[in-house]
Amino acid sequence: MLSHAEASENFIADADRTDWHDETLWFVREKRDKVSKVLPEWEALREHASQIKDHTLANLGEYLQAFEAKAQANGITVHWATDAAEHNAIVHDIIAAQGSKILVKSKSMLTEECHLNDYLASKGIEVVDTDLGERIVQFRNEAPSHIVLPAIHLKKEDVGETFHQFLGTPKGNKDPQFLTEAARQHLRGHFLASEVAITGVNFAVAETGEFVVCTNEGNADMGAHLAKVHIACMGIEKIIPKRSDLASFLRLLARSATGQLITTYTSHFHQSREGQEIHIVLLDNGRTRQLADPKYKNSLKCIRCAACFNTCPVYRRSGGHSYHQPVAGPIGSILAPNIDKKANVDLPFASTLCGSCTNVCPVKINIHEQLWFWRQDLMEAGLAPVGKTIGMKLMAFVLSNPVIYRIGGSLMRRFAGILNTRLNPWYKQREMPVAPKESFQEWYNKR
Amino acid sequence: MTTREQILGKIEPLAESKHPGAFQGASEEFDFRASLTVVGARVVTPSELEEIFPGKRRYDKTLDGLSLAEIEVLEIDGEFGVAENGAIWLSEEALPHRVAPFICQHLVINIKKIVPHMHAAYEELGKVSSGFGLFLSGPSKTADIEQSLVIGAHGARSLTVVIHA
Amino acid sequence: MRVALFVPCYIDQFYPQVAVASLELLEKLGCDVVVPTDQTCCGQPMANSGFASSTEGCDANFSQNFEGFDYIVGPSGSCVLHVKEHHPSEKIRNSVYEICEFLTDVLKVSSLNAHFPHRVGLHQSCHGQRGLHLSSMSERNEKHFSKIEDLLALVGGIEVVLPVRVDECCGFGGTFCVTEEAVSVKMGQDRIKEHNANAVSYIVGVDTSCLMHMEGILRRQGSKVQVKHIVEILNHA
Repeated sequence: MLSHAEASENFIADADRTDWHDETLWFVREKRDKVSKVLPEWEALREHASQIKDHTLANLGEYLQAFEAKAQANGITVHWATDAAEHNAIVHDIIAAQGSKILVKSKSMLTEECHLNDYLASKGIEVVDTDLGERIVQFRNEAPSHIVLPAIHLKKEDVGETFHQFLGTPKGNKDPQFLTEAARQHLRGHFLASEVAITGVNFAVAETGEFVVCTNEGNADMGAHLAKVHIACMGIEKIIPKRSDLASFLRLLARSATGQLITTYTSHFHQSREGQEIHIVLLDNGRTRQLADPKYKNSLKCIRCAACFNTCPVYRRSGGHSYHQPVAGPIGSILAPNIDKKANVDLPFASTLCGSCTNVCPVKINIHEQLWFWRQDLMEAGLAPVGKTIGMKLMAFVLSNPVIYRIGGSLMRRFAGILNTRLNPWYKQREMPVAPKESFQEWYNKR
Repeated sequence: MTTREQILGKIEPLAESKHPGAFQGASEEFDFRASLTVVGARVVTPSELEEIFPGKRRYDKTLDGLSLAEIEVLEIDGEFGVAENGAIWLSEEALPHRVAPFICQHLVINIKKIVPHMHAAYEELGKVSSGFGLFLSGPSKTADIEQSLVIGAHGARSLTVVIHA
Repeated sequence: MRVALFVPCYIDQFYPQVAVASLELLEKLGCDVVVPTDQTCCGQPMANSGFASSTEGCDANFSQNFEGFDYIVGPSGSCVLHVKEHHPSEKIRNSVYEICEFLTDVLKVSSLNAHFPHRVGLHQSCHGQRGLHLSSMSERNEKHFSKIEDLLALVGGIEVVLPVRVDECCGFGGTFCVTEEAVSVKMGQDRIKEHNANAVSYIVGVDTSCLMHMEGILRRQGSKVQVKHIVEILNHA
């Protein structure tokens, strides 16, 4: 597995494509700016949503139980899963009871986190991802590169190629309208035939036991309303206290994500249809651990809008796949180390700590501060690359000792030319700063 | 110990953090018709509707969603519109089947009332009475292929609204 | 007013002219400037690399050099922000100022005898902007303000232009500049491209680290565009 730095280097090697990726996502950031700046109450809304989430997380156990009780009273079956393995087994059991070998699934980052599709495939069950972007990457056997725009790393030519291969569209056709129509017809067949539908959950309301699913395409509903069994998968942090709280989140979500006013469909599932079963699976998978750590608990406020991705100058120039796990970007970099420190040690360092992410987050997660905290925790856990710990301790020693610092500085300036070599990563594409004859202190002492 | 107990056992209540209560200070200056245009819907009069979609538009309630798969045009009655984003609340009672507004090719919605924003919308909704309901804003759409907006992903290809307010 | 000059380590070693300009400017504005001579580094390079646990020595040295001062002023947004957020002494945290912040909020400078008749591109160094609030942030729904632009407006003959992306990061990011070299350089190149589109002769910022990074790229490109720290311009005759 490539580190973020290695993968980014490969990504950037195609400078034109990097520029295109960067500009495309910056454009989404600009759309977000446009709609947020016409609402005078925008910053107050962020604060309101943030406080609702803070309050919820402070009382999460209570709210989860309240939600469960209400949902059950409405005929929804509630399951609990400690980790991905348990989650996948539960979902599989429900499907097996129905006897389905193929089913439809709408976008759920949680199911990506659990690698559900692969697990079900190993059990002989085919999952058809119905979000257009996800279907495209599914055909290509790639992971989504963005949690809202899964195929943002692909150009229309790429999609045209893929659809030609899998849907028989004419070779060379890259017209988005035409290709979307082809996907519509292809997936419609699956919707009409599927007995089981899996969806994610955007919000679950403790007060009423209902859950909300937001899409632009209508794919979650096309699946759920025709299926005999609807399985909704959610992280325990998706709970909100009251129905009326939804207002603030829904006003913030689409505007932050794509610059739209609201998603086309915001579906509120309260009870199943007659003759249908609804199951909801509540997943922990490390969320309780994140909750218990005051430094990172705020990351659980996330409503998965990806505004942080779109604003991040590093994400835009490295692409989602460089983050080598399901949720990329700034939020991914503070969630992933909680799941696996060693595998994700590079992610909190894939940032200049510019702070833009924190500013666009609709629920005011202090992302850039948590990146800093993770850096401390990961280094303290002994996960520094070889040589870094020694280098840092040496630097700390030199820099805390005025005499050694001055001698070291003077030597460095005298022999700075040594560093003009390709072995010095700085020097690959930049000139080294010119070493002045005197340091400021030397000049000042003579003044 | 069940998983449920395990998970709940790991959750400690945290330091007090009050719920902020209802949101104060929402803008009221929104134009429903303008919002409908932004989200890709069009507004027509009842007579214009007849011209655009002559023929059958209303369907009886059914338990079989698949029976609606061939519908070209579906007309339903929404509960109210939301001016800030062109969304319309549809409750299950108003639909022949939950899948109806998604499975038809073209959707027509009548509304009689407009509220300014989402906070007002949830006040209007009060406590839940329906087994299912949704905010529907415009025709189905996607920009998943190189950010090119395409209208008509999986749901209805068009939305036509008749305002009786 | 008695002021201690905080000279960031890389300015001391590589860009002494920035500290010279800071010293001269503060003196011109009537400050009694003391330069503690045993100062070294604020500890940011280690802390941002995950080794905040190793900065005790730097923090102690900083305390020794700067204790007792009500105003510790430094020409670096990122270094000042680091001290403000992480130094163990509350007195020090409350006494440290980035120089533009100091000129605007404490000295309340309203005129300068400075001239710089050139077209300059403004680079909004991130830590000064988002951390110290030296100016409003493009992501927020907030009224525009800029202590930096206000100070530059006091300089005779200057023409200040903003790039299209007014506050995108330059890509320096501390050790990021070498650990993620490819992204770092691409970000810097993109900033420079925007400034070039404005045909500026200088790029100005409040953090020499940003400027050092962009200068490295500019010189590798053979560009005639130079970088200047804002104090060099505010102090320019």
